[in-house]
Amino acid sequence: MTNLNCAGGILDAQSSSLPPSKLIIDTDPGIDDSMAILMAFQTPQLEILGLTTIFGNVTTEDATRNALLLCEIAGCPGVPVAEGSSEPLKGGTPRVADFVHGSDGLGNITLPPPKSKKCNKSASEFLVEKVSEYPGEVSVLALGPLTNLALAIKRDSSFASKVKNIVILGGAFFALGNVNPAAEANKLNSFNLQIYGDPEAADVVFTSGANIVVVGINITTQVKMTDADLLELAESKGKHAQLLSDMCTFYRDWHVKSDGVYGIFLHDPVSFVAVVRPDLFTYKTGVVRVETHGISVGHTLMDQGLKRWNGSNPWTGYSPVSVAWTVNVDQVLGYIKKLLMKP
Amino acid sequence: MAHQYIELLFLLKKGTKLRIADFVHGADGLGNQNFSPPKGKAIEQSAAAFMVEQAKLYPGKVTVVALGPLTNLALAVELDPAFVKNIGQIVLLGGAFSVNGNVNPAAEANIFGDPEAADIVFTCGADVVAVGINVTHQVVMTDADREKLAQSKGKFAQYLSKILEVYFAYHREAYSMRGVYLHDPAALLVAVNPSLFTYTEGVVRVQTSGITRGLTILYNKQKRFAEVTEWSDKPTVKVAVTVDAPSIVKLLMDRLMD
Repeated sequence: MTNLNCAGGILDAQSSSLPPSKLIIDTDPGIDDSMAILMAFQTPQLEILGLTTIFGNVTTEDATRNALLLCEIAGCPGVPVAEGSSEPLKGGTPRVADFVHGSDGLGNITLPPPKSKKCNKSASEFLVEKVSEYPGEVSVLALGPLTNLALAIKRDSSFASKVKNIVILGGAFFALGNVNPAAEANKLNSFNLQIYGDPEAADVVFTSGANIVVVGINITTQVKMTDADLLELAESKGKHAQLLSDMCTFYRDWHVKSDGVYGIFLHDPVSFVAVVRPDLFTYKTGVVRVETHGISVGHTLMDQGLKRWNGSNPWTGYSPVSVAWTVNVDQVLGYIKKLLMKP
Repeated sequence: MAHQYIELLFLLKKGTKLRIADFVHGADGLGNQNFSPPKGKAIEQSAAAFMVEQAKLYPGKVTVVALGPLTNLALAVELDPAFVKNIGQIVLLGGAFSVNGNVNPAAEANIFGDPEAADIVFTCGADVVAVGINVTHQVVMTDADREKLAQSKGKFAQYLSKILEVYFAYHREAYSMRGVYLHDPAALLVAVNPSLFTYTEGVVRVQTSGITRGLTILYNKQKRFAEVTEWSDKPTVKVAVTVDAPSIVKLLMDRLMD
């Protein structure tokens, strides 16, 4: 089965002895999501099986529209887009980050509506189906709250063992969160946003036993595109450089206001790099749990394994996950810029 | 070498702790040495009432070094609205700032002992300095140090080297290390010589529910959040971030072997 996308994938697959790796991107596009998605489409060694959508930067409905648009912009309108849950596991209306990504999620640039339609399966159905079809072959890049993945795990008890790996953007490991001091946006409840977007779901995924790599904001905030980098992008011959530059204007202005950063953090693109170039990071392994109650709801907490505990605790007995610990900032930034500026 | 204007009140851990760390300190808390009972009796006043009284008696002059769960201090805060103004400084041993805890991955023992009390103390507005295990884990007394102590003629050296046996055994078992963390001595030295540490300042809140009950989270205001959080508009405290560990160990050894 080939929804084989595009962007030179077939060509490069021919020139390489290795078949392309299969990838599903679970996403809430989102400006930095858009960068990551367009980067994925520009990566020949990847076969993008589909996009699944989730709330976060925008509502799930808008995420689906934006995902369809991005597939069309990438020249791959045939790639399935499966719409995900419109609310977190425990219900409630999610808050969206329109102050970060603009009311359309793409930096308030005006784009025509997509011509293609979403696929008739839900995100979790789509995830379960593809992972069952290609056991051990499908990677999932999760760029938003983890509701869809939690639903897939609940839907099919063999999902966690069949998925090749899940690379998650989310969490703040031994660092301040970006929604409140305790939580990172990808994992919150209805009030805040990513782990905060659905902490219950995040805890289900982290403790599922799947092969998981987590890239937290303690890593992603080390990789910035400065104003000079953005100018270089704008003036490049990159296939999507103009569009991305337009989108980034709004995003960049928010960074100045929020963080005093003249440029943008590359949360989603960095996580994407962890899929294709895992060697540019180092990792520590340990059990990760997510707090679902109280003032630190959405807090991701890893047992580093430095102590033999007296008795059991909530971290005992779960499979460890890999938490990105250091990042080769120059090489990751170089990789991202090269892909974004690729004609 | 107490500062002239600092009186140290050592908090005797009174009453029942829900979680007793006998596997760390021995069944009697003093390394199972079968000491004879003390001759003195505890005073009639409660710990909280005593603190309130002393702080009122010497406004701005009393430092409290809190080495256990913060129940007594929280009660003092609630007993007398003027306590936070009257008390000079509260130096507390507690919390795990950006590291794993020591009771479980989330919580440090003293905060875990009474998270509600800890949250009251951290947000009460008093001059608070917190020394967490992120700092005290850098201050280690080695087996060799203990041997030196045992050989010395210090007034307390024999007593201490005896009671330390259980504590050393616990560290070998739990941390695979040949030495012990000097949590309480390090915290005490903040009151004696604060320049042995560096500090950051921010709002500390304590998680009181869920799997991370007892987690301490410091917000040092580097980032401006989009909305009001549980950390907004709360008084700040100082949190120790680095320590001159060799100086502290030397100070401690010199003092104990003297």
